[in-house]
Formats: sequence, C-alpha cells, structure tokens
Amino acid sequence: MTTFISGISVVCFAASYLVALVCEASRPLFRSGLRGAVLVGFAAAGFLAHTLFLGWRAATEPAVPLSSAFDWYLLAAWLLAGGYLWLLAANPRTQVGLFVLPVVLGLVGAAELSSRAPFPQSPATQVWGAIHGSFNLAASVAVAGGAVAGLMWLIQAMRLARKRSPAQGLRLPSLERLADVSGRAASIAAWTGAAGFVSGLVLNAVNRRSGLLETVPWNDPVVLRMALVVAWLVVAAAIGRALARRPQAARVGAWLSLVSLGLLAASMLWGILGTTRHGVPPTHAATAREAAP
Amino acid sequence: MTLAFVGGTHRTVPLALRERLAFSAEQAAEALARFRDRFPGRELVLLSTCNRVELYAAGERETVPPPAEQLVSFLAECRGIEAALLAPLLARESDEAVVRHLFSVASGLDSMVLGEPQILAQVKQAWALAQRSDTSGPLTGGLFQAALRTAKRVASETALGRERLSIPSVAVADFARGVFERFDDKRVLLVGAGKMAHETLRYLREAGARDVVVVNRTAERADRLAARLDARPGRFADLIAELAAADLVVSTTGASEPVVTAELFARAEAGRAGRPLVVLDLAVPRDFDPAIGTRPGVWLYSIDDLGAACEANRKSRQREMPAALAIVEEEARRFMGDLHHRSTAPVIERLRAGWSETGDAELERLFRRLPSLDEAARAEIRQAFERYAAKMLHPPLESLRNESRAGPPHGLLDALKRLFDLKE
Repeated sequence: MTTFISGISVVCFAASYLVALVCEASRPLFRSGLRGAVLVGFAAAGFLAHTLFLGWRAATEPAVPLSSAFDWYLLAAWLLAGGYLWLLAANPRTQVGLFVLPVVLGLVGAAELSSRAPFPQSPATQVWGAIHGSFNLAASVAVAGGAVAGLMWLIQAMRLARKRSPAQGLRLPSLERLADVSGRAASIAAWTGAAGFVSGLVLNAVNRRSGLLETVPWNDPVVLRMALVVAWLVVAAAIGRALARRPQAARVGAWLSLVSLGLLAASMLWGILGTTRHGVPPTHAATAREAAP
Repeated sequence: MTLAFVGGTHRTVPLALRERLAFSAEQAAEALARFRDRFPGRELVLLSTCNRVELYAAGERETVPPPAEQLVSFLAECRGIEAALLAPLLARESDEAVVRHLFSVASGLDSMVLGEPQILAQVKQAWALAQRSDTSGPLTGGLFQAALRTAKRVASETALGRERLSIPSVAVADFARGVFERFDDKRVLLVGAGKMAHETLRYLREAGARDVVVVNRTAERADRLAARLDARPGRFADLIAELAAADLVVSTTGASEPVVTAELFARAEAGRAGRPLVVLDLAVPRDFDPAIGTRPGVWLYSIDDLGAACEANRKSRQREMPAALAIVEEEARRFMGDLHHRSTAPVIERLRAGWSETGDAELERLFRRLPSLDEAARAEIRQAFERYAAKMLHPPLESLRNESRAGPPHGLLDALKRLFDLKE
C-alpha cells in the first residue's frame, strides 16, 4: 500500500482531471450513457490520487507539512477540485467542470513550476507562517471560485439576453445562484486576503525580532504585488457592496471577479518568474527565485 | 407467426372514430377477458390512449396469434363498431415489424409530440392490465420488458425528450429557471387573465411559487381569478407598486396597446432595489414595451421569443431521431434474436435428452463391467461423461444461437434433426 501511495505522481491526478475536462467539454456535443460514469470516475479518481499525494507529502516531509510553494498550489487545486466534485454530485447536469477544471489544472501546472523546498521556518514563526499561508490560500481559492461563478454568470446572462434557451447546449446554474456565489466569494477573498497580508507583516516582524530568519523588505516584489492584489480585492468587495441594490450589481460583480482572478494570476506568474527574499533560506535570499504565491 | 399487431393512431383514424374506439380501463379489462375466453392460450396486450388503440397479440406453435382480420373483427366487436368501417383504417403488422412498432411507440417516436414521455407510462399500464387479466405471458412479457428497456435507453442516450415544447413550460422551466434558483421566495404577478396564464402558473406552482398576485382591469374578474388560482387579488390602479414588488410577471391581457410602457416601468424600477425581474409577456399584441427588456436586470420574453425557443427545441428533438431509431433497431434485432433462439428450444431439448440417454446407457454398461468401482470413481466418470457431452454439444448450439440472430434458423434446425435423428 505504501509503495502504491508513494508511486502516485502529479501526472496521475492531472491526467485524470484532464480526462474529466474532456468529458465535460464533450457534453454539449453529443449524448452518451457511458460518459457520465467516465466523468465521475476520473474526477473522483483524480481527487483521490490528489488527496493521497498530499497526504503522503504531509506525512513524509521533514518540515511543517505542506509548507512549500509546490504544496501550496496543489492545496489550492485540491480545494477547488473538491468543490467541483461536490457540485458534480449535487448538480450533475450543469457543466461547472468546464470552468473549474482549467483553473485546477492551471494551479497544478503552477505547482510544477514552483519550488518543492519548504519555506524557511523557525519554532517562533511556525504559527504565524501557517496563519499567513492559510489565509492566502483561502483568498486565492475564493478569488478563483468567484471568477468561475462570474464567468458563468456572464455567459448565462448573454444567452438569456439573446433569448436563447439556457436548456440548449451548455447547462449552467441560474443567474441568482451564480451572482450569490460570486458576491460571497468577493467578500471572503477581501477579508482573507487582508488577513493574509496582515499576518505576513506580523510574521516578518516576528522574524525581525527573533533574528533567526531573514526578513522581507517593504519594497520586495512579493510585498508590493500582494499589497496591490489585496487592495484590489478590498476595493472590488466595496464596489460590490455599494452596488448591492442596483440592477447592474451582478454584472459588475462578475467583471470585478474576473479582474481579480487576472490580477492574482499575473501576481502568481510574477512570483514564479521573478526574484524575491520572500520564502527563501537566508543564505540564498538575494538571488533565489521567488517561490511564494 | 409469433407476434401480431392491429391498431390505429391519430395519423390514420379520424378523431370522431378514435373517440368511439378508445377503451376505458374497465372496458379494456373486459375486452382482455373476452379475448382470453375466445382465443385460449394466446397472449394479448391492449394499448388505448387518446391518440391510439392497439392490440398486441402473441402465441407460438399450436397457439399462434389470431390472424389480423380476426383481431380487427374482435376490436370492432368490443367497441360496437362495424368491422368494415374500421378495417381500412387500421394498420396490421407481424413479428419483427410489431417489435419495431412497439419499441418506437414506447420511446415516444410515434407520438403526436415527438419524444413525449407520458406514452411510456401508458405502455406500462397496458402491460400491467394484461398481466392482471391473465392475457400476458412469456412472449408479451419479454416483448414489453424489452420495449421499456428500449424507451429507457432512448431517454438516456438521446436528447429526444429533454427539451420542452410548450410555451408555458419553456417560459418557466428554461428561461425563468435560468434566472432564478428558487421560486418559493419570489413574488409572481399575473397581469390579465389569458388562457396561457393558467398553464404558466401551473408550472410556476410546480416549481415552488407560492406568493401569487393577480391584477386585472376588471376588479371582479381579478377576484374571481385569484380565488380560482389560490392567489391574492391586486388592484390594477396599484400596478406600479405591484411591478416594484414582483420578481416574475406573467402578462396575458387582451389590450390593444402596451399595458406597461417604458415610462410606467421606470417609475416601478425605482422601488425594485436592483432585484432582477423576469417578464413573460404572453399577450398578442404585447403588454410590455420591448424597450423595457433593455433595462439592466430585466429579462423580458415575448411570445415570439418563447415560440422561437420551442421551435429550436422541436428541431433539436428531430435531430435526435436517427440516434433513437438506431437504438430501436438494435433492440429489435436483439429481441428477435432471442425470440428465434427461443423457437429452437424444443430441438435443443431433444438433442440434449438424446445425448443424455445414450450417455446414461453407456455408463450403466461400463459400471456393470467394472463392479469394483467405488461411488467416488463412478461420480468422477459420470461427471467426465457430462462434461464431454456438454463440450460436444457446445459448437452446434452456439451455431444455432448465432444463426438465430439473423432470423429463424430453419435450415440448421432441419440439419440437426436429420443428423441426430431427432423425432418431433
């Protein structure tokens, strides 16, 4: 059993999600009695393999479990994949997977490009590091979930405005449900994003006081881009709240959620390709490639 | 002939005659009892709906089903109609054509509204009645079971019955459901008392709508309608306030000018607090100014919009026909293969019995010559003989099964009878 679990690789669950995505994409094209079973089978198998992979890493890594950029991206993908499976079970006829699975696969791809080395840790900063990472994870998942709901809202609204029956072709949830999810996700993203940023500042201060780990300067690219993203998330949530009683609220909210995802994706890409002192051991801090999201 | 069919549908029998031909459940039970007495040993299922009356008869060997003309006379006699009047209007089929026809009927391919699902329940009821009346046996049992399986496959493997075809059902189940997740917390406003309002409200009630307000220019009519529809009457003078409070409007007045102009709606819009509004304008001419549909958060559908969606759904169903017919064909072939194979059963039985008798006689002789064999050894030898017989018989029986798929294997059956000297 141990050999089997240790043999699971990123390719195993990424390929399963890809097959599930192909099944989802083929749903409006033709009917098949077999496809539903294949879709659920591959999505569930992918999620199981994903879970076992993360479990194995958490159990075998010498550092704090799942504390590398690689793990962080895979955790975000795992949360979204879990949400997708839940939606698939609750509303098997809607094609949410067509929108969620590309994000899941994108996060798995980002993980592959990221460092597997754990972030530097000391006993004094472990708790703040975990809080910082968890809030950022929650914010990122909320942004992705909100953007998926927002995109689906725009497509559904376009079809309804063109008087095309929503029962034809692509099956999506109702505008009411999508607007609700998108709005809630915007609020969650703003709160958790802000909490993640503040906890990052606290973590930095603790590091500075303990002198065990190198601190991240204010002008570090990670600090700047995270500040920008968090500021945007707060502004987007505020705009959404301000427009709550206007008929345009849902449409504006949908567009805002897409901009949020765009900003977050750009920030992550910058994180993967740029240089930083965030999340790297002191000796390599100046030149190492940025590992943090 | 094993299966026989006689029947008339909306395509062949005029409505006036169809009304006389239709059976109530009691009349159908009486007819089945009469059939059982007149044609003992034969099977019959009677399917009677508002669009069709059909007899499916079955029997084999000594009890072949009655000829089509006898079935026509029987049907005419049951309904008190002259057989000569009925005969030219009824279709007659036998064997494989019966199977195809029933499978198509059960799948909704022969219905007036293509792919309608009610026919499946009616087919089930007809078979259940035949079972209760003791006129359904192994042949019709197998046939109807296969028909239900075919209908299930057509429903699950094609989109034939998926899209809705009536304007009220498309309005509610497709468009309104595309906007709203639930209806139990929504206010529905009925403006006017047109026929389609009732039907639309029925779908809305099924979807969970509880809070319904009826508004009409004539207050008494609104009161009467509200009482009939279990709704709340509203005053036409309060239309702006009602529009502000509503989430979904169904409008079916007979007014010659728009009842809700863009200016009037703008006054209502102020009180809506940004909530989305679905307007199903089912009136001709339209009750809502089309410009209202361009307002943010308003989803306005006229009867033409909904009609176009219905037509698209109808075309979509038509596109599924080849796939549905392929399933019917596949299942019909499968059923006929089983039926033909079933006809080989007596020959197979005689063949097995012949081998078994010869084997038993040889074993007896062997055991007499070897009295020292204990019971375990005898059992082993007996098993070896049985295995040998089964293996020797397998190829001819498999050939028989394969041949059955293409049609009744008369040639092979005759060859087997002659080769193994099988007596009738």
